[in-house]
Amino acid sequence: MEKYHSANLSDQRIIDALIAQDPDITIEDALENEMIINMGPQHPATHGVLRLVARLDGETVMSVVPELGYLHRGYEKMAENMTYLEYIPHTDRLDYTSTMANNVAYVMAVEKLAGIEVPKRAQYIRMIVAELSRIAGHLVAVGTFALDVGAVTAFMWTFREREKIQNIFDRIAGARFTTSYTRIGGVASDLDSEAIKMIKEFLDQYKDAHEEFEKLLNTNRIFIDRLEGIGILPKEDAINLGITGPNLRGSGVEYDIRRAKPYLFYNEIDFNIPVYNEGDSLARYFVRVDELKESSKIVYQCLDKLPQGPTMANDAKKVLPKKEEIYTKMEELIHDFMLVNFGINPPVGDVYSAVENPKGELGFYIVSNGTGYPWKFKIRSPSFCNLQALPLICKNQMISDVVAIIGSIDPVMGEADK
Amino acid sequence: MAVKKRAKDLNILEKLYIPEIVKGMTLTLKNMFRPRVTMEYPEQKFEPPASYRGRPVLVQEQDAGERCVACGLCSRVCPALAIEVQANETDREKERFPEKFEINMLRCIFCGFCEEVCPEEAIVMSKDYELVYTNREDAIYGKDKLLVPVEQLQDRIDYLRNFK
Repeated sequence: MEKYHSANLSDQRIIDALIAQDPDITIEDALENEMIINMGPQHPATHGVLRLVARLDGETVMSVVPELGYLHRGYEKMAENMTYLEYIPHTDRLDYTSTMANNVAYVMAVEKLAGIEVPKRAQYIRMIVAELSRIAGHLVAVGTFALDVGAVTAFMWTFREREKIQNIFDRIAGARFTTSYTRIGGVASDLDSEAIKMIKEFLDQYKDAHEEFEKLLNTNRIFIDRLEGIGILPKEDAINLGITGPNLRGSGVEYDIRRAKPYLFYNEIDFNIPVYNEGDSLARYFVRVDELKESSKIVYQCLDKLPQGPTMANDAKKVLPKKEEIYTKMEELIHDFMLVNFGINPPVGDVYSAVENPKGELGFYIVSNGTGYPWKFKIRSPSFCNLQALPLICKNQMISDVVAIIGSIDPVMGEADK
Repeated sequence: MAVKKRAKDLNILEKLYIPEIVKGMTLTLKNMFRPRVTMEYPEQKFEPPASYRGRPVLVQEQDAGERCVACGLCSRVCPALAIEVQANETDREKERFPEKFEINMLRCIFCGFCEEVCPEEAIVMSKDYELVYTNREDAIYGKDKLLVPVEQLQDRIDYLRNFK
């Protein structure tokens, strides 16, 4: 996107973009029938600070232009001025509905760059927390989506379930929301027996809770009438626009990085990838609901397979040593100081590593020049790419359906604006 | 694997809508008798587990004062640049001590990195989560507010030794 120097110029660009989507329009016609309105950035249904400028003919949306950047914090630039370890808390704040999945995605990219082998137990723990946060993220997505189209009860019930996951994260990582749980070379702390018990208890009762809210929505006539056939995203367009995640699978493309390019131990786990062919808002909703079930299946299997062993790699030059060794051994003490002060110094080179986040493909592209700081850092955030579909699928819909479409696309602006 | 069926296909009874309302109301009514999931916060306090990362504090030994040797590693690793340390020397067994140790609680993001890199187990995350101040100056916690006796922090220290 170009850099705008004044607000007026920015508005002019948006209006130009709106008009450009429909070259047949005459100015008389526009003056007679049409108007341009703002949705957002302060609109409860736009999931954060998303601004849509819509050209309306009556109640029909002729074209729509999303304007992003209201939550821009410069995370890609900030990364160039901090060590790889220091950046971990910032990944919490990308997609803030599923913090653990971001943590895992980031450290996996750094480990690929630095060539660190992660212990098996740490990898299984990463899978568990990533899938739990996928459940949490989809619960937020489904809940707020239902809220957008008027079903308040479902929102309350999904948030009640999410609350239990947050309590598990509190137990595992020490924080409910800003977890910062993974470390380069492993995870910050081991799972204790109490945490495993909490996860099992959650999953056991989750099955019933899931069926309950599914029953509330799946046969709800208002819910279905508002979503069926709304915001159809054709298969080819979805691929061309680079849509990933549930939005892509709702359009009939069976693409999931966990299956297409397995990372961690997803190739040893038995799970399905739900795909729906319709490509409308309802299909995207069904994909998320089915993925919730699949994720809990994955967590069950991971808990069964969870091996014993260390949770941090043994690589003195790149991985922080264990606390007890820092207190007693000189060598580890020196490494502690060196790692914190000068960073892990990965070899010169670049790496792209992508994982399947709840929202889609979250990729990190890191260029290293051999120092402790990344030379260039690029985040491929799924929400940003998924939002590119909005102008296409909002066209010729009713203005009230735009709310439902945004809910079904499920953007998180922390990630889209980076 | 593309799924063909869609759960939306409604039968005639469901399309009538009125029985559905009654069913919905029954569900709502049932929820009235379930255990409550919320907490009456100010009266009922949340007791965090040992793994909880609350306000960072300095560990104070019974007789020897603070454990901190003012190496400045916490202030180096802090992603939010919240910690300021100024070292000085004494004649005691531990020759260095922090003359000034300030944490700006407006900047702190409770990531726990200071605790994780500390080579002396001198700064740990407490269970304190109720942080209020009426002006910005009060939010800068000096040594007077940060020092906490080691007995009160024992379960966090045990947790660190077992799980970190």
